[in-house]
Amino acid sequence: MYLEKGLPEIRLVEALKRGPLTLKQASRLVPELDIALQWGKKRNWVRIERGTIMLLSAPEQFPEAEALEMISKGEAVSDELTKILAQRNLVEIETAFAEESKHLEGKTVSKLTPELLSSGLWRRVKIRPYDVRLLGAKLYPGKLQPYNQFLSELRRRLIELGFREMKGPTIETEFWNYDALYQPQGHPARNWFSTFYIKGSEHGSLPAVSTRVRVAHERGIPGSTGWRYKWDPRKAMRLVPRAQGTALSARTLAEGPLIPGKYFAIARCYRPDVVDATHSIEFNQVEGIVVDDSLTFRNLLGILEMFAREVARADEIRFIPDYYPFTEPSVQMSAKHPEMGWMELGGAGIFREELTKPLGVDVPVIAWGLGTDRLAMFKLGMTDIRELFTRDLDWMRQKAVV
Amino acid sequence: MPSIEVSLRDLERLLRRRIPPDELWKLAATAKCEVDNIDGDTMKVDAKDTNRPDLWSAEGMAREIRLRHSSPGLPTYRAFKSRIEVLVDGSVSAVRPYTACAIVTDLHLDQAALSQMIQLQEKVASNFGGGRRDVAIGVYDLGRISPPIRYTTVDPEGVKFVPLDFEEEMTPREILVEHPKGKEFGHLLAGAKRYPMFVDSAGEVMSVPPIINSNFSGKVTEETRSAFIECSGFHPDRLSTALNVVSTALAERGARVGQVKVRYSHKTIITPDFRPRRAKLDLSHFRRISDLPIGPTQARDLLRRSGYNVLSRKADIVTVHYPAYRQDIMHERDIFEDMLISHGYDRIQPQPPKLPTVGASSRIERFSSLVEGVMIGLGFQQILSYTLTDKSSLFAKMNSEEQPVMELENPVSSNWSVFRNWLLPCVVEFLSANTHVDYPQDVFELGDVVIPDDTQETRATDRRKLACATASAEAGYQDIVSVLDATMSNLGFAYDLKPSVHPTFIRGRGADIVTKEDLIGVVGEISPQVLENWKIEVPVSAFEVDVTTLFGSLPETELS
Repeated sequence: MYLEKGLPEIRLVEALKRGPLTLKQASRLVPELDIALQWGKKRNWVRIERGTIMLLSAPEQFPEAEALEMISKGEAVSDELTKILAQRNLVEIETAFAEESKHLEGKTVSKLTPELLSSGLWRRVKIRPYDVRLLGAKLYPGKLQPYNQFLSELRRRLIELGFREMKGPTIETEFWNYDALYQPQGHPARNWFSTFYIKGSEHGSLPAVSTRVRVAHERGIPGSTGWRYKWDPRKAMRLVPRAQGTALSARTLAEGPLIPGKYFAIARCYRPDVVDATHSIEFNQVEGIVVDDSLTFRNLLGILEMFAREVARADEIRFIPDYYPFTEPSVQMSAKHPEMGWMELGGAGIFREELTKPLGVDVPVIAWGLGTDRLAMFKLGMTDIRELFTRDLDWMRQKAVV
Repeated sequence: MPSIEVSLRDLERLLRRRIPPDELWKLAATAKCEVDNIDGDTMKVDAKDTNRPDLWSAEGMAREIRLRHSSPGLPTYRAFKSRIEVLVDGSVSAVRPYTACAIVTDLHLDQAALSQMIQLQEKVASNFGGGRRDVAIGVYDLGRISPPIRYTTVDPEGVKFVPLDFEEEMTPREILVEHPKGKEFGHLLAGAKRYPMFVDSAGEVMSVPPIINSNFSGKVTEETRSAFIECSGFHPDRLSTALNVVSTALAERGARVGQVKVRYSHKTIITPDFRPRRAKLDLSHFRRISDLPIGPTQARDLLRRSGYNVLSRKADIVTVHYPAYRQDIMHERDIFEDMLISHGYDRIQPQPPKLPTVGASSRIERFSSLVEGVMIGLGFQQILSYTLTDKSSLFAKMNSEEQPVMELENPVSSNWSVFRNWLLPCVVEFLSANTHVDYPQDVFELGDVVIPDDTQETRATDRRKLACATASAEAGYQDIVSVLDATMSNLGFAYDLKPSVHPTFIRGRGADIVTKEDLIGVVGEISPQVLENWKIEVPVSAFEVDVTTLFGSLPETELS
């Protein structure tokens, strides 16, 4: 039928050459309009807009129609076209094999075919055995990036331990990155050599809570002298790429955390450094907070111990005094990894009241951080931190997921 | 954090005992120092506490370790009254307004002691003094100075003297241009019409702070028996702390410290002031936060072992004295930490908190892992790139028009100087690093890009993007559209393709990906010019989709 009257989409195109048609009009002119529209749209010939069919471009050739013509004359057409025509049930593929297969009776065949199955002939042929030890062609399945997989597993682990994930912007104001954490504006980390700054005179805005933070820096809170210097709002408004994941904790506290609450973040951070095998200017920090009225220093050690066991599989640990501008007391934890030996695994402290109170939190907050990149490198067999963001496709293809 | 070198023999001499090698890390830790490495007699430590300059020397470490282990209580220092005066000229107020000074006698410094003094002075000025801006320290041979000393200003060309370790006379301006210290610290005097200067009554220039001492008097050697120390800067409190740190370190070696009268036009101040400072703490707060059953007697012992003397106690309220070289005590918590360190972190039983919390990943991460699942199912290898890149990779090499990006003011390398504002360049860059690897290569990245946005608090907003590319001799536009269609339909989003001209793609083989409301991405066959820019020699087709927009159209109840 199509051979005589033409394929539906062609009839549609022909009809449209005289101008756009409503669906109703077209259905009268073109039988099997749904098929016509399906293929017309697929070929980008026509478009429907508010019930009107418009011609986008009139093709000069109709390969499928030509192919039908050729087949009717007994000429061969390309496999691709045959496939499309077969899909449209316009032709049936018959292979000469079906006829010939009768001659195979009692013989050895190399391939079990649909014809052998449907004709039942398979009972009367012998299927040639293979060398089953030979491998097929190499296949590369889709996989997670190995370091990303490590981070995903870590994320899952932390969630299992009852932590809720925090998210925050890549670009921060110095306020959230430092001031809200009670890190004084003259702190050695807040300079050109330790913090990246965003170019241009553009400054961010300060939240309302900054007035209380300012007072804490300048004069303290009840029971504290504060840092005793003149706080500069312009400095606090400067834009920096997040230099520490703790910025997210500051935002969470200011937004009003759940109490009791346990939070974590896997935060991309940025710091100027000499880039080498152990230093990168872009890296992930894994850290978070625990918020509750009942928290103590023993809990702080307990959290670190739990991380050592659950994340690094270490059972021997050491607690060493440490310093962060925003916690007091502060602890560093070294853990004895079963294979890597003693390593600095993380740090923690109880947030200073000069930090928590201005942000509106009146209960102890334990802040913790884990140095997970060294663990990741070990797990992935790397000696250079830059390999975490590997560009070696071959290596990723070979790398087992376990 | 400051990195400090000490001689082990010198440290043992100051401690008056031998240190077993395997105890070293633990002893250093009680002085908040971490052993970095030991090379023969030289031990390198990281001083962890950036707010405790008193611990940045062998003398300070030894003092702290002795306190912790033998409980002597408050370290006391006396300063005798000297007749030395420093007359401060009013003109310094415009450039470097304050100074605090001391003299030291009975000095007997060997090489180890001398290098500690120089190192301490440098570390305090750079780490505590804001790179000499807030605090600069000078130490002089008092025997070569004729008091009274004047702290005044001078015209940059108005005087000539031989700077430290030089032979010829130079003007201050010449020093700023030619002397290594002048080049390093000259910016601290940028714009000043007159430079600060210490000069003695004989008119001999002692120094131009915060740059350089004179070679004549500003040099201390093993032969020096008495010294003059000055700290100059902007905050009297900080100067006083710095002076106390440096002078008590010398006192730890048996030197005697003398007070100096610093005369300003309107007041006279006597420095150094070694009188202990006073603070209050509430023991019930300590018990509460430490979860240790510490009574008053034990608390007293912990305080003494941290260098505090108890002045009085009323129930749980304790008043203490602490040494004048400390300025880090703002709150009772600071004292609590000292008590805990003296108690020993290793003697405290850890106890994980038992809190009824429910863990959850963020919604965008949960959505992202679904996207990852679809891409992996389609056979694509995930890649991960830095978010920092360079402008040429984002635009010129992609044949794309330059757009506003967030740019670093102080990049360490131009390779990482801007934040990516689209993801496709990272994927193409990855392909260009793998031209020797078997094709076809099917890769995707799911990551954040940063878009400048004036309406935001931080003038920028993050968007999560999915970029996906297939590189192969056979694959083309239809293949990537199949992948895109599979991705979108399996994530449950309807979309349309709108022909568009995007110079990254071959003309006529690029399209915008649109939903009813938004333009959410682009798809196309990468233009040969772009492939040539990246030295890629197989056809690449790719798409990029804004995952944040897709995610934003989901109802709140999904994925929460």
